[in-house]
This record gives sequence, structure tokens and C-alpha cells, in this order.
Amino acid sequence: MSNLLEINDLSVSFDTPEGEVQAVRDVSLSLPEGKVLALVGESGCGKSVLCRSVMKLLPRTAKIKSGSIMADGVDITNYGERDMRKLRGRMFAMVFQDPMTTLNPVMPVGDQIAEAVRVHNRRISRTDAHRRAVEMMELVGIERAEERSRLYPYNFSGGMRQRSVMAIALASNPRILFADEPTTALDVTIQAQILDLFREIQATLHTATLFVTHDLGVVARVADLVAVMYAGRIVELGTVEDIFYDPRHPYTWGLLQALPAWSRGRDMLNAIPGMPPSLIHPPRGDAFACRNPYALGIDYLEQPPMFRISETHSAATWLLDPAAPKVQSPIHGGPHAEQ
Amino acid sequence: MTRKNWIPYLIKKLAIFLASVLALSVIVFAVSRLSPGDPLVSYYGERTEKMSPAERRQTMERLGLNAPLTTQYVRWLEGALRGEFGISYKYKQDVLDVIAARIGNTLLLGLPGFLLTFVLALLLGILCAWREESWLDKIISKAGTVLSCVPEFWLSLVLILFFSVIWRLLPSSGAYTIGKENDIGDRLRHLILPMAVMILSHLWYYAYMIRNKLLEEIRADYVLLAKSKGLSRGQILFRHCLRGILPSYISLMAISVPHILGGTYIIETVFSYPGIGTLSYESARWKDYNMLMVLCMLTGVVIIFANMLGQIINERIDPRIRASEGLEVPTNEP
Amino acid sequence: MLNSDYVRVEHLSHRFHLTRKIAIDALKDVSFAIDRGEILGLVGESGSGKSTVARCVMGILKPTGGRVIYDGIDVNAAKLSRDENVRLQKERQIIFQDSGSALNPRMSVRRILSEPLDIHGLSRDREAREKLLIQNLDFVGLDPGVLESRPGELSGGQRQRVSIARALLMKPKLIVADEPIASLDVSIQAQIVNLFKHLQAEHGFTFLFIAHDLAMVEFLCDRVGVMSKGRLVELAPTRQLYDSPQHPYTKALLAAMPIPDPRRERSREIPVYHAPEYVTRQEWTRVGFDHYVLMER
Repeated sequence: MSNLLEINDLSVSFDTPEGEVQAVRDVSLSLPEGKVLALVGESGCGKSVLCRSVMKLLPRTAKIKSGSIMADGVDITNYGERDMRKLRGRMFAMVFQDPMTTLNPVMPVGDQIAEAVRVHNRRISRTDAHRRAVEMMELVGIERAEERSRLYPYNFSGGMRQRSVMAIALASNPRILFADEPTTALDVTIQAQILDLFREIQATLHTATLFVTHDLGVVARVADLVAVMYAGRIVELGTVEDIFYDPRHPYTWGLLQALPAWSRGRDMLNAIPGMPPSLIHPPRGDAFACRNPYALGIDYLEQPPMFRISETHSAATWLLDPAAPKVQSPIHGGPHAEQ
Repeated sequence: MTRKNWIPYLIKKLAIFLASVLALSVIVFAVSRLSPGDPLVSYYGERTEKMSPAERRQTMERLGLNAPLTTQYVRWLEGALRGEFGISYKYKQDVLDVIAARIGNTLLLGLPGFLLTFVLALLLGILCAWREESWLDKIISKAGTVLSCVPEFWLSLVLILFFSVIWRLLPSSGAYTIGKENDIGDRLRHLILPMAVMILSHLWYYAYMIRNKLLEEIRADYVLLAKSKGLSRGQILFRHCLRGILPSYISLMAISVPHILGGTYIIETVFSYPGIGTLSYESARWKDYNMLMVLCMLTGVVIIFANMLGQIINERIDPRIRASEGLEVPTNEP
Repeated sequence: MLNSDYVRVEHLSHRFHLTRKIAIDALKDVSFAIDRGEILGLVGESGSGKSTVARCVMGILKPTGGRVIYDGIDVNAAKLSRDENVRLQKERQIIFQDSGSALNPRMSVRRILSEPLDIHGLSRDREAREKLLIQNLDFVGLDPGVLESRPGELSGGQRQRVSIARALLMKPKLIVADEPIASLDVSIQAQIVNLFKHLQAEHGFTFLFIAHDLAMVEFLCDRVGVMSKGRLVELAPTRQLYDSPQHPYTKALLAAMPIPDPRRERSREIPVYHAPEYVTRQEWTRVGFDHYVLMER
């Protein structure tokens, strides 16, 4: 299996009046063809920034400090706007969080999709581009597409708008799809349909998807691989089974245990105490240490390396060091095991 | 918009238009008659001072100025509906003839000036938004702010001082040199300074608005999606962002007709340009009632019409406004 | 179902006019009651009218039909005695979703908390007030150190706690929480939900908890009402509702709830739900103990 996207030791910072925000710190990640990798974490952990830095959609204050990004074997770390433009749409495409604001309100939806079709192929005539736009709308499950292609976004419901955004994203057959919290702004009953659409598209078009979310329920439905991020770093990486049934990082334990499903029949939820650190001066050592009941002395001094647990699974916690005391994971066998 | 909805829509707009014009005529009539001043002065000039009270009464009677205000208004309205607006006290001619002789000059100055202002402002605004925070943007912003703070009459005087008095490049007043009425080059030379003042004093106000609105659009979420499609900055700016701000720019254009019209009147006066502006200034000053009424009505009709036009264009461009007017029922389907 | 005298919502309707011709029924004949000391959850999709209910209960919005009775006082009555007005204002407090924008960014936390006390002329003594503020911050798990901070310097979770502390200062009896955790992070959401649970158990507050996160509602609430298109379609004790939902919309909503367990989540099919137009006459029907459903007649 080849990796379509390889990120090596990537660090991204923002210049702000308060100081340099280290939004992404030494992240390494690879995305194989035809898989969905979910990036999970709290807001501000760097998951969106990571996506956008690959597509170079960050504001001017952001800088790639170090590391490299390889797309389909080509190093694109230092690509400028001109080169990136050729890749956007064809190599990468993106679906954003709020479909209410990501579509241009004063342009018919069909035109917006047709535009994406024509960007990389000027030889397609307008009528052909429109025909293709209607096909795309049908592909993403919009009924009566021909008629609706002439409507404006405000005529559409949230679910249909997000389907339209997906049609735009898929219009030039991208190889990698970024999805930044694509269901967060949608209603629950629509969420499942959109998630299933992602999986369907995965199966038919073999795109690789980087799926950013904070919702573990969504991860469980859509992801093949999971990367858990905390304070700009990836703390645990594995298959969806690894992460849900055999998590190793205390932060992953905390995230899973904080879900109401883990506290059925109890008085209180298992909340993680405290809050994430500021990324302007991130703490020394493991950023999670001060919220971590299992923290060791060394956690406050030195950043743990990624320990390999299996072929697919690795985690950055000193608990995995051979010299560390053995800690029993509080997670065994899924949330409903106790029932 | 379907054809079926068009007719009641137009009737509604027309009714609003007529009602506004009628209300305007009442207000202008009342204000002009109630403000102090002697209309006879405009008719008889200096002679008025020597008139006896009896003579005065008689002339007032003849001009119909003695009747109660309501009667005067009804008489005026009756005449107006027949297309008779009376004579100008000052020129002793039918007011329409006087205006007809001058309106060409004003249109020659106002229309190109108005359009140029908006086209240049649009281009300048786009330029500044495109080069946001560059030195070019900063210099234009500073210069523009200073220029738009300068009053029109002062700017006119400064330009006259330099271009007419010191360098003797351009004429300082009038619409043409006497004896050269049909020389187009001479007419154009007379237009340069007034039009320059007109454009310079309004340009930045609108350019700045375009710049900021565009920057606001550029930061909208949909630009991110457009960018991720692979569109270039130029394509995004012209195809997406500009489309978003044009409706409000067009309605702004329509609303600013009075703003610019008012400016034109001042400029005409400073440059002694024989147009509607100097005429309205004179008629207000000399209580030339019939002339004043027609000029105010004319100005008002242009303004009301421009506003309605702006609104109609807006509705054509922005689908959301169309919906809120109830012309289209939103079809919100799952 | 109106078996309580504490808060009674009776046949509440609200109609918004978009234009003169197009009107939207944000609420249509909604009735329920809240018992003293219970946490009643209201769930539903965006636009289902749950926030409108909250606003009507708080008296921020005047409904176009029906009424809200708070402890015997008609919230929207034209004439209320001074005493009743003061009671309504002090005993009911609301917490909004976006606490960041609900707090004045230029005021310090101390001023934000003191303001309602000033308005009602409470605890003017300096020392007593300081003690009260610190005690209330402690309630919501905040350090007295935040008193001098401004909202912008606090995290989302801390700001939400400040809003809760401000609500608690008035010693309210009823707290209406409109999506109080929706904009918070997962780990912080759990902290706030725990706080609500603690406040109910230890201090006997009554909550109207409005949320779209069904799992949190299941954990926190005693009873749950489900809203769809401005109608209350089902109301039941939490366990009963989650174990045996009756209304098709409730069923769809619960089925769509993602399960954080990949094997189970992927093996199940989530049926597509099409909301009905509610054209037929609907009627409240009792289907179990304290369990009511809106059904066709």
C-alpha cells in the first residue's frame, strides 16, 4: 500500500501580538490510498491547522517552521501559490465545517460546481461542465439535480448544502480529501447520512481522506485509522480498533472515558480535569502531564518519543517505556462492556 | 421572477413613486413659501423698494401670491398636471424653457462625472483590496482621506488658483468661451476643472467602501472553498467577491445621487457654470417660486427614481432580497 | 402531564412573520411542566423551537399564543405586582450557549458578577460581597484569581463557568440552560455537565436543559422532551424514552446517535428519516407511566 500523503516532523507556527503560537509541533503522519484517517482532538489542538497547512490555506501569519510534506511522492513543502493552485482541486480538495457559509450565497449551486470542473480543464465547454456538475450532484445524493443546480444555496437545507460542497470538492477527482468537521454544523439525523456518503465515495473513488473531528462517535463510524492530537502533537496513532479497544495514551483514555456512554449508571462523568495548555509557551515535557493522573516524574521534563506498540499502533507516553511502572488501562473492551 | 408577478410589482412601485413625488411637492411648496424673503425682488429687481403698498398688493394679486397657501398649492398642482409650471419671475420666461436651455450643460458635467466617479472608485477600491496593506494601498488611503475631507468649494478655488491663475492652462469659469459655442475642444476644456473637483472630492469615499467590503468578502468562508477548488486570487476576487458586493455598490450609487447632485450644484456655482445648479441657487436666493418648485421637483424625482432603480437592480442580482420581497417563495427542502 | 405547579407551559405557540405573506410557526401548541428540583431536557434539531421555548419561559420573548406560569405567576401577564416582578427576575436565570459573547468583554469578572447584585441592591457590604463572590466562584470550580480577569483572557470553559456563577449569585430556583455545552470541548463539556449534576443534587436547583447532544441529555436529565418543527412530539422519563421511544422522530433521532464503538457503530444501518408535514390532527396520548406521545387521531 502506497502512502499518498507523507508528513514528516512538520511544525507550523502563527505570529500573534502575544507571541509565537506553536500550533503544530513535530507531526509525522502518513495517509495511505483509499483510507480514512481521522484526526481527533479538542479545539486548538492543531488538527485543522495541520490540514490547512498541507493545502497551504493558512493566513499569512502562519509559517511552516520545519519538516516536510510529500504528496504522491513529490515534496511540496516549499511550493508557492502558483504551484499549489495546480494541486488544489486535483490532488487535494477540502470540505469545511459550516456549509451555511462555505458556499457563495449569490451564485447558483450548479455554477459553483461547474466552476470547479472547469478550473483544471478549460477545454470543457460550459454546457458540458454544467452536465458534469449535475452528475456530481447526483453522485452525492441530491435528487432532482438538474432542477436544483439552478437554485441558490439559501434554497438548500444544511445537509444538501454539505452534499453540494462535497460535489465541489470531488469535481476534479482529487486524490486526497480533507474534511474539517464536516458534520459538526449538521443535525444528528443528517450526520449519519453524510458520514455514510463519505464511506461510499471512499469505496467508489478510492480517495484518501483526512477527516478532522472532535466527536469519537463520528470517528467510530467513518475512520479506518485514527490520530489523536493534543497541544499540537500527535499523541497516539493506530487503527480504529487499536484506538477504541486498546488505547495506550492517558489522554486517549481520558477522551473515551469522558463520553457519557462510559458513565452509564454513575453519578458523575469521568471528566479530564484542567484545560489544555497555551501553545504560546507550551510546557516542557509532555504537555498533558499536568492533567494526567498517571503522569511520571519524567513527563514534566522530557517529551516522550513515539513508542511502537504494533505494526499499526504507536503512542507518545513514557508509560510505554520498558522502565516505567505497569499501569492497567481503564479501558477494556468498549464502553458497554460493563453492562 | 415570474412574469405573473411583474405587473402588480410594477404597479406597486409606481404607486410608491407617485405618492413620494406628491408628498415632496407639498413639502417643497410649504417650505419655500414659509421662509422669509420677497418674491417681488426677483421679478422687479431694485424697483421693488420704490413700490407703494397699493402697487405691491396689486402685483402680488396678479402673480397670485395673495391667495391662501392651500389655494396657491391647488392652483400650482392643477397647472402642473396640465404641464404648465408658470413663468420664472427673474427671467420672465416659461420656467421649462429656462431649464431646457441649461439642463444640457448640467448633464454634460454631471452624468460623465457621476459615472467616472463610480468606475474609478471601483477600480481604485479593487486595486487597494488586491494590494492590501502594501505601500500603494497605504499611500492611496492617506491621500484619499485627505482629499475627501477638503470641502468642494475650497478644492475648486485651489485648482482655479493653480490651473487658471498661475499656470493659465484652463479656463476658470463658464461653459464655453464667448463666440466659440460650437467648439467641442473649448467645451471640454471648460469641463475639466469642475469635473476634476467632482470626481476628486467623492472618489475616495466610494473607493474606500469598495476596498473594505471586498476585504470583508475575501475573509468569508466561501473564499476558502473557492481557493481549495484551485481558483486563483484574481478569479476569486472577480468572479466571487465582486459579485457579492456589486448589489450593495449599485444601490449605494443610486442612494448617492443626491450627495453628488448637491456637490455638482456647489461646483457649478463656484465655476459660474451655467447649469441647473446655478439656477437653483439663484431661484432659492431670489424667491423665484415657480422656478424653485420645478427644480426641486426635478431633483427629487431624479433621486426617488434612482433609489427605486437601485432597489430593483438589487433584487435582480441578489436572490435573497428577491425572496424577502415575497416574489419567490423559498423552497427549503431536505 | 401538567401535574406540577412549579413551571407550567400551556399551549405555547409562537409565529414569526418573515414577510407579510410568509409566516413560520416556531412553536405550535407546546405544553409541559417542570417539577421542582428536576432536570428536564429538551432535545431536537436546529430550528425545532427549543430555544424559543427557553426564551418564552424566561419572558425574553412574548409568545403569540398560550402562556407560561412560573410558580403561580403568569410570566407574560400585563400587570404584575412589584413583588412578583422581583421574584421572576431573581428566581429564573438563563445560561446561553456562547458565553463569550454574552459577557461584556470590557468588564472584569468582578464587575460582571457584581452587576446583578447592584441592580437588585443585594449585599452592599464590601466584605460580605467579596465573600459571596468567592463562594460562588468556588461553587462552579473557579479560582478567586479570575476576579480581575476579563472574559477575553479566559478559556471557553471558564467563561461558561463565570456565566453560571453569575446566574447562581441571584440564588435562583430555576436555571434555563440553552445549549450550555455546545461550544465547549469534549473534556470540558463533561466538567460542566458534572457541575450541573452537582448543583441539582446538593442544592436542589431546577433545570430546563436544552441541548442537541443526546448522550449528554441521557446522562444528565430526569425527563426528556423531544421537539420537532415547533411541536413537542414526545415527553417521558429519560430511561423510558431512550429504551422505548414511540414517536417516529424520536426513534430516528436516537437511531442517529453515534455509538463510540467502531464494531457496533459500523454494523448498524441508520434509517433515513423524512420529517412529516404534520397536516393531520395530532393529539397527546399517554402510552406509559408519565410517557406522552403526539399521535395522529
